[in-house]
Amino acid sequence: MEAILSAIPTDSPIDQIAGSLGANGLPYSLPIHPNLVHLTIGLFVIAIAFDIAGALYPLEKRVFRFLALPVTRSGFHDVGWYNLLACCVVTFFTVAAGFYEMLLAVPLPGVTSTFGLESMVTMLWHGVGGVLLLLVIVAMTVWRGFQRFLWRKDLGRQVQWLYLLVGLAMFLALGLHGTLGAQLAAEFGVHIAADQLLAAGADLHTALP
Amino acid sequence: MTVGQRASMLELLPPLNDHNLPWMDTIHPIVVHFVIAMALITFVFDLAGVVLRKPQLFEVSFWNLLFATAAIFVAIIFGQVEAGLALPYGAAREILNIHSTIGWSLAGILSLMTAWRYVIRNRDSQQIPLSFLGAGGVLSLLVLIQIYLGDQLIWTYGLHTVKVVSAIREGIV
Repeated sequence: MEAILSAIPTDSPIDQIAGSLGANGLPYSLPIHPNLVHLTIGLFVIAIAFDIAGALYPLEKRVFRFLALPVTRSGFHDVGWYNLLACCVVTFFTVAAGFYEMLLAVPLPGVTSTFGLESMVTMLWHGVGGVLLLLVIVAMTVWRGFQRFLWRKDLGRQVQWLYLLVGLAMFLALGLHGTLGAQLAAEFGVHIAADQLLAAGADLHTALP
Repeated sequence: MTVGQRASMLELLPPLNDHNLPWMDTIHPIVVHFVIAMALITFVFDLAGVVLRKPQLFEVSFWNLLFATAAIFVAIIFGQVEAGLALPYGAAREILNIHSTIGWSLAGILSLMTAWRYVIRNRDSQQIPLSFLGAGGVLSLLVLIQIYLGDQLIWTYGLHTVKVVSAIREGIV
């Protein structure tokens, strides 16, 4: 096994296109994936939050009357549905951009994350986890659609308690997953121009705009 | 303010880690998920509501706008603390200044738009005046500019990343 591994040439395939990449390791100045992540997480969390608000509506009615804020239960569930739908659409692009940018990732050598993981393991978890999260989001959108248009069409509470529970579990999964992504940036320096330049021994005052 | 006074103020915070933060990692970029996503989707749903003649979507955009407004104040609180600990260098100083100015302005704009929208919704929840749609477009543009500046602070200048913080502490940057 040792012999086979050492027979593999050590230059990275990224070197083939290194000439067209900037200091951040990308052919453009700012990464796309982390920006789409704002949309995925924001839309998902608020979707679930409003379905919870819709589910607990009988408890909240008086508070909203006190606030002089006209509220309908179906309005809350509309937010729950449309935000999740938007999240589902956007997340395909989030994952696609993530994979493109991870193919071009060059993590700083010799770093171990706060979780005690090295860069390759962190990237594998973040990559595979991202696909799994997309799968769950798509499945939950379909599930949510069945509840809205078929199973619970005529009911005040448009979602099952189990759906909300799965949503809350997803908050944890997204938080953990997001932390891995944040570590790839802030600890492993992936696609951060300053970190990559420092690793190359450059002077940031002259190398950066 | 003298150096001594500043040092004693910093003692009020827990010890700073290798991100130069009193907590594990930057919190501001997490809170802004809810400002960015909710502010942008408000405009998208308003536009979709008008184009598709689906007033149901106006209710969805109203709640998203309300949430974006609530979230931006939390984002500013963490943003100010983390900006104060960001150790900006070179052009990052000026970018951080502009980012802070636009951030506070967005809090004002979002609050005004939410109040305006509250009145619109109370009068007739089935329609959106064109002027509000225009304001939503301007808001979205400002949010995009703000994202661009914040992105530069992280992805170009690496503020609060372990590598940059240690280089600054070693006096290399």
